[in-house]
Amino acid sequence: MADRQTVSAKKTHYVHTPDEKSKLDMLHFMKLTREIEDRIERKLYRQGRIVGGVYVGRGQEAISVGTAIHMEKDDVVAPSHRDMGVFLMRGITARRIIAQYMGRKTGLTRGRDGNMHMGDMNYNVIAFVSHLGDNVPVAAGAALAFKQRGEQRVALCYNGEGATSRGDWHEGINFASIHKLPVVFFINNNAYAYSTPMELQMAVADVAMRAPGYGIPGEVVDGNDILAVYDSAKRAIDRARSGAGPSIVEYKTFRMTGHSAHDDAGYVPPELFEEWKQKDPIVRLEQAMLEDGTVTQARLDAMQRECALMIDDAVDWAEKQPYPAGEDVTRDVYFEG
Amino acid sequence: MNPSTSDAYSLSVPAGLTLDRTGFLELYYFMALNRKLEERLGHLYRQGKVVGGLYSSLGQEACSVGSAYALERGDFLAPMIRNLGALMVRGVKPVDVMAQYCARAIGPTRGKDLNVHFGWVDRGLIAPISVVGALIPVMAGIALEMKMKSKPNVALTYIGDGGMSTTDFHEGMNFAGVHRLPFILIVENNGYAYSTPTSLQANVTDLVTRAPGYGAYGESVDGNNVLAVLDAVRRGRARCLAGEGPVMIEARTFRRKGHAEHDDAGYVPRALVAEWEKKDPLDAYRRYLLANHTVDSEQDIGEIDAKIAVILEDAANEALAAPFPDPSIARENVYG
Repeated sequence: MADRQTVSAKKTHYVHTPDEKSKLDMLHFMKLTREIEDRIERKLYRQGRIVGGVYVGRGQEAISVGTAIHMEKDDVVAPSHRDMGVFLMRGITARRIIAQYMGRKTGLTRGRDGNMHMGDMNYNVIAFVSHLGDNVPVAAGAALAFKQRGEQRVALCYNGEGATSRGDWHEGINFASIHKLPVVFFINNNAYAYSTPMELQMAVADVAMRAPGYGIPGEVVDGNDILAVYDSAKRAIDRARSGAGPSIVEYKTFRMTGHSAHDDAGYVPPELFEEWKQKDPIVRLEQAMLEDGTVTQARLDAMQRECALMIDDAVDWAEKQPYPAGEDVTRDVYFEG
Repeated sequence: MNPSTSDAYSLSVPAGLTLDRTGFLELYYFMALNRKLEERLGHLYRQGKVVGGLYSSLGQEACSVGSAYALERGDFLAPMIRNLGALMVRGVKPVDVMAQYCARAIGPTRGKDLNVHFGWVDRGLIAPISVVGALIPVMAGIALEMKMKSKPNVALTYIGDGGMSTTDFHEGMNFAGVHRLPFILIVENNGYAYSTPTSLQANVTDLVTRAPGYGAYGESVDGNNVLAVLDAVRRGRARCLAGEGPVMIEARTFRRKGHAEHDDAGYVPRALVAEWEKKDPLDAYRRYLLANHTVDSEQDIGEIDAKIAVILEDAANEALAAPFPDPSIARENVYG
C-alpha cells in the first residue's frame, strides 16, 4: 500500500545539518553506490560474470550513506543486504567488492561466498548473516562489549521491515533495551519483503510503533531525503554514545528493483515504481545542492564520471584476479590458532 | 474503623459484569479446587509420590480460573505450567491430575509424561509445551483455522513475563495481528521468570505496551481479581468474534512460591511475598462474596470447601491405587 510509505510531517528544520564537505561526500558515496550496483546488476550479472545472486539497494542509497557518515573509526556496523553504501563508506574498495561478486580470491571472503555475504573486521564491518534479523543480537552483543569495557563506541544495525517479523529481531532489541546498550537499529522499510507487502508483514503502519514496547525511542523518517536521514541518525547515534540506550529509526523508502536480479517484481504495482522514481534520493540531493549553489551541473557531471571510472577500474582489476585454489577449501573453517 | 480492615485488599467489580449466583459460586469452587489440589500435590511431593517436579500457581488462581471461565464451547485453551485452575474449569478432574503427577497408568498420558503436560484435543485443550512461548504460534494456528472456517470461537493461551522475551512470542503475535485472528493472550506478569525479575526481563513495566506494536488490543488488569480477569477476557472474546483481531490481557499478579517445589526462591525479597500474601485472590474473593451477600452465607462456602476435601481425598486414593504403566506400552502412541 503506497500510503503506508508516506511520512506524515515533512520536516523542514533539522537539529543537525551537514556542512558542504559532508554533503559532497554523501553525494559522492550515493552516486558510487548506485554506480557499482548498476554495474553489477545490469551489466556484469547479465553478462554472466557474477557468481550467484545479486541484491541491490537502488533507491535506498540515502539510508546507508546518511547513517554511516556518522560512524567513528572504532564503531562497528552490521549491515543488511541493501546497504552497499555502508561498505564503501567504511573504506572497503570497489575493487575488492567486485572481486567478491566475481568469486575471486581477493574478494572479501576470498572467493568462498558470494555477493553481499561479506564483512571485514579490519573495517569493523560485521559480515552480513543470511538469516535476516540475526544481526540484531550480534550487534547488541558488540554493544554489550563496548558498555562492559567502558568504551565510547556504538554499534549500528540495519534491517528491512520483513526482518522485523523475526524472533531474533525481538530478542536482540529486548536485550539491548534492558541493558541500555550503545546500539542503533535502522529499519530500511522498503515496502516489500521479497513479494510480501507491508500489510501482510505487520498489522501496524510503522515498525517504530514497536519501540514503546521496549521503552526506547522510535522515529519515522523519510528515507529518501538524505538530510532527514543525516539528522535522525546523528541524534540516535549521539544518544547511544552518551549511554542513554538504543533507538529504532525507521526509514520509509521503496525497493526500486525486484528482490534480486532474477526477480522482475511483477507483483509490485507499476505505478508505485513511477511514484517512487520521483523521490529518487540522489536527484533530490543534487537538486538541493544546485539550488543552494554548492555544486554546478558541470561538477555533478564530473562526479558521475569519476564514479564510473572507479568502477571501470574495479571491474578491470577484479577480472584479472585468480579464483581461489581448490586445495584451500578446508582453510578458515575452524580456527587453527 | 479498624486500620487493618480499611487497608485490606478488596476486589472492585467491573462495571457491566453479569454473573448469576451459580457463576459466582463456581468461580469460588474452581479457585478453591485449584488451591487445594496444589496443596495436596505438595503433600504427595514431600511423601515421594510425585514423579518429577511440582509447579505451583499459589496466588495466581484468579488468572487461570477467570480467563478459562470466560470461554465457551468450541473455544480452545492451552495452559502453561501455572494454569491448573484453567484445566479444572475446562473439565479436567483432580484424579487425572494426581495420576499424571504420580505417573500412573490411568493418567491422561498413561504415565508417560508428567505434571500438566497433557492435552485433550476433543475437549479443546492443547497440551502445554515446555519450551516457553511455543504455544503462541500453535494457538495462533488454531485461531487461523477458526477464522478460515468462520467458527464463532477463540483460541486462548498464557505467557509469563519471561516468555514474552522469546522468539515465538514475537512471531506468533505478529502473525495473529497481521491476519486479525481470534486469539487471546493472557500475559501473567508474576514478577519473576525463575529467578529473573521483570526489571531484567523487559525495559518497560507495563508489558501490555507491546500490544499496539502487533496491532493487538491490549489491556492491563488486576490479576488477583477473578472478576476483573473474567470481565476482561469476556470483552476480549467479543472483540475477537467481531473480527477485530488479537487481544493481549496483562494480568498483574505475583508468584508466591519458587519456580518449582524444589526452589525456595531465596532471591525474592520476603517483603514482596508478604505484600502479595495480603492480596491473596482466594481470600479476597471469599471476603467479597460474604460482604456483598452474593451468596447466602458462610454455609455455601463451607459446603464447597467440604465437597472439595472429599473430591481430593477420593482422587488421591484412586490415583495412588492405580498401577504404574506397563513397560510394554512404551512404544505406543509415539507415532500417529
